[in-house]
Amino acid sequence: MKELFLYDAFAGIPLCGTEGAADSIWGNWLLMPGVLLLIAGLSGLYLLLSGGKLQKGAGLYFGGLVLLLLVQSSPLHFLAMHYLFSAHMVGHIIILLGCAPLLVLGLPEQVGPDTQNILAAVSKVLSQRPWLGWLCGIGVMWFWHVTAVFDAAFPAALATGVNLLPLLLTFSLLLAGALFAWPILGPLPAYRINPLLGVLYLFTACVGCSLLGLLITFAPLGIYHHYLSADAYGFDGLIRKGWGITAAVDQQMAGLIMWVPCCFVYLSGSLYLLHNWLTAKDGQPLWKESGLNLEGDRI
Amino acid sequence: MGKLHIPEPEEALPGVELEDNQGLLQWISSVDHKQIGIMYLWMALFFMLLGGLGALLMRVQLAVPRNDLLSPEIYNQVFTMHGTTMIFLVATPAILGFSVYLSPLMIGANDMAFPRLNAFSFWIALCGGFLLYFSFLAGGAPDAGWFNYAPLNQRPYSPSPGIDYYCIGLLLAGSGTVATAVNLIVTVLKLRVPSMSLRELPVFVWMVLINSFLILAAFPSLNAALAMLLLDRQLQAHFFDIAGGGSSLLWQHLFWLFGHPEVYILILPAFGILSEVFQVFSRKPIFGYAFIVGSGMAIALLAFGVWIHHMFATGLGITVNGFFSASSLLIGIPTGVKIFSWLGTMWGGSLRFTTAMLFATAFLVEFTIGGLSGVSFAIVPIDWQLTDTYYVVAHLHYVFVGGSLFGLLAGLFYWFPKMSGKIIPEKQGKWFFWLFVIGFNMTFLIQHALGVLGMPRRVYTYPDLPNYTWMNMLSTAGAFIMGFSVLYLGFIIYKSIKSGKKAPDDPWNAYTLEWLTTSPPQLQNFKEVPPVKSFRPLRDLKQDNPNWQLQDDPWKID
Repeated sequence: MKELFLYDAFAGIPLCGTEGAADSIWGNWLLMPGVLLLIAGLSGLYLLLSGGKLQKGAGLYFGGLVLLLLVQSSPLHFLAMHYLFSAHMVGHIIILLGCAPLLVLGLPEQVGPDTQNILAAVSKVLSQRPWLGWLCGIGVMWFWHVTAVFDAAFPAALATGVNLLPLLLTFSLLLAGALFAWPILGPLPAYRINPLLGVLYLFTACVGCSLLGLLITFAPLGIYHHYLSADAYGFDGLIRKGWGITAAVDQQMAGLIMWVPCCFVYLSGSLYLLHNWLTAKDGQPLWKESGLNLEGDRI
Repeated sequence: MGKLHIPEPEEALPGVELEDNQGLLQWISSVDHKQIGIMYLWMALFFMLLGGLGALLMRVQLAVPRNDLLSPEIYNQVFTMHGTTMIFLVATPAILGFSVYLSPLMIGANDMAFPRLNAFSFWIALCGGFLLYFSFLAGGAPDAGWFNYAPLNQRPYSPSPGIDYYCIGLLLAGSGTVATAVNLIVTVLKLRVPSMSLRELPVFVWMVLINSFLILAAFPSLNAALAMLLLDRQLQAHFFDIAGGGSSLLWQHLFWLFGHPEVYILILPAFGILSEVFQVFSRKPIFGYAFIVGSGMAIALLAFGVWIHHMFATGLGITVNGFFSASSLLIGIPTGVKIFSWLGTMWGGSLRFTTAMLFATAFLVEFTIGGLSGVSFAIVPIDWQLTDTYYVVAHLHYVFVGGSLFGLLAGLFYWFPKMSGKIIPEKQGKWFFWLFVIGFNMTFLIQHALGVLGMPRRVYTYPDLPNYTWMNMLSTAGAFIMGFSVLYLGFIIYKSIKSGKKAPDDPWNAYTLEWLTTSPPQLQNFKEVPPVKSFRPLRDLKQDNPNWQLQDDPWKID
């Protein structure tokens, strides 16, 4: 029983689920201290920034954290760690394009002067060099799907000691997703990039993730070894035969999730930006009409 | 005869004085966007006659079962050249012709950003077309379809040099198209009259801008594939050669990564034309400007995520097919938004059914038929059943002819007075419209049924199966009516240019800046452009000047 949940940086605390219940996967929930620490740290960061008060948008921020907890504790994570590349990909995309943008959108508006300066400095860098955020958002997906890195990012990959790579993976996705979202959804609207540039930003991101998805979809079966290993927990029959998700189908689905729904998120974002830009009334503050001197340091 | 006014500063062309009667030289050496635009349109008409001749040859061959007028080898060359010509040498030059002619005029500019590059693009595209046709004299035209699938395009299956000419011809034409796209983007972004913000661009110019980005993103895939194929054929590379470790499926990926966006490349400018025509002849602003521009961009963005639906029958697997079936269905949404925007524009408007408006209205019906048959192909089992049948032929013609060409013809009749300074009599225009519409539907509507009955495309003849003969005969009769109508179009254009009535500057009481200048415009489009306050600047100008005299109404001119 203990071994069943020893698959992350720190031992997990099972919420429910029993050994040998190979006919149902949905009971396999667990809380992992590593993830809990990360969430606690991010909650603390919010309180630090907001001066201990919940401000407007806090729901988005903490909604992002709850989503992160769900992705990391639910049976989706169990499937992702042991059986399904496609579940793994769904988890990545939710963290990168769901949790991270929610955290950025929910950052507190009223912050102290020092924090304001830091936020302005970060925003300025990312606004003036949008390729930085772009490279983080796309690069992180490509990096973690290099086959050797991918296989190493599972706890079983290391025979001894504690493998911190899974936690690093989650954290890096969150950080890269935040940096990617920042030029478009950042807390200081005046530093957001031109919406039309934003459309290009998201469209090229779509191309970037499409290429990765295409490679995974049409790559020969077996280049990602992890999911071809032995059936550790007895669910192989259920998943491969009961659900009909063979290893080949699973790899294709993983690639296709990266390719099609992921792109759909980027394209929806593009259309949202475009709609706002086209329907903005004359005189309504847009990215450049806010009166802010982009060279200035203080808002 | 008088002096030719050259809109260049004296120091740029010191001492140059020309008579205004330079004849053909003035066209060949021109870098003026209007002349280049018109030459693109002449090029499209010329190749349309050639491509149409190929189509009639095919329809004669298919008029009766077991016909042996054309051999299978010649038939393969004819249908390949018909498709290639119509896509690359008719539709593409026609949209580029309208784009380079109208974009500078509609944004208040005097020329394209790079006039010499504009001329280069046209001439290289024309040379590409001639090279393609030179293949007939060089040992045989390409014969693997306009999509040129591997391994049919490899030497063992197509030893004549036709495919090599296909590669070189399309590479030249494609390079010209990419260069024009760059030119249009820079022109629209940098040469607009200063008071015209992007949110005040006429819808046509928006579509041209979006389309140019689409060209930049899509054509490199085709150009790369053509270069790889040329290496395969000339230097024994193995990109698409399975025996040598290549992949024939790779050709299809690269081709359709270009080919599906190409469908939108050919339709988006037509959408722009229709948006202008519907506004002017409904006497209303476009219904949902933001939606019509946004949906154009949505189409362009989605265009790159659906190409796999051209490959459902290649064995990519249920999973892949399922995902792309869903994404392909999505693209119907922005297209539907446009249709409703145009209907909304017409709704409650003061409609004037000129020939241009008739083509625009007919477009709504024909393109919707093509769109719905397209949606049916997104459903995998239907695709498997109907792929490679005449249902596909019917579908693609309803999209390319009922969609793109109807839009382009609406544009031709709408802007002809501006381009030529002459009026096409409405009566003659309407004769052409009805002949063309009847011929088109007679030719292609029945092909849906032929496809469902199982008649395969790209096969030079067919057995005498029940219903096949009369259906094919009907289709052939329709094709001849279409052919006749195109000749009639050539005749009325020629006659109008030669002896038509002079067109006023603003014959339709229109909304956009090109109607502010003379018909036809001088070399220098504008000496002065009024401040732009909306996407209907000329209408604003008229409203702000109560004494503005409307010119002759073409309803009375005819």
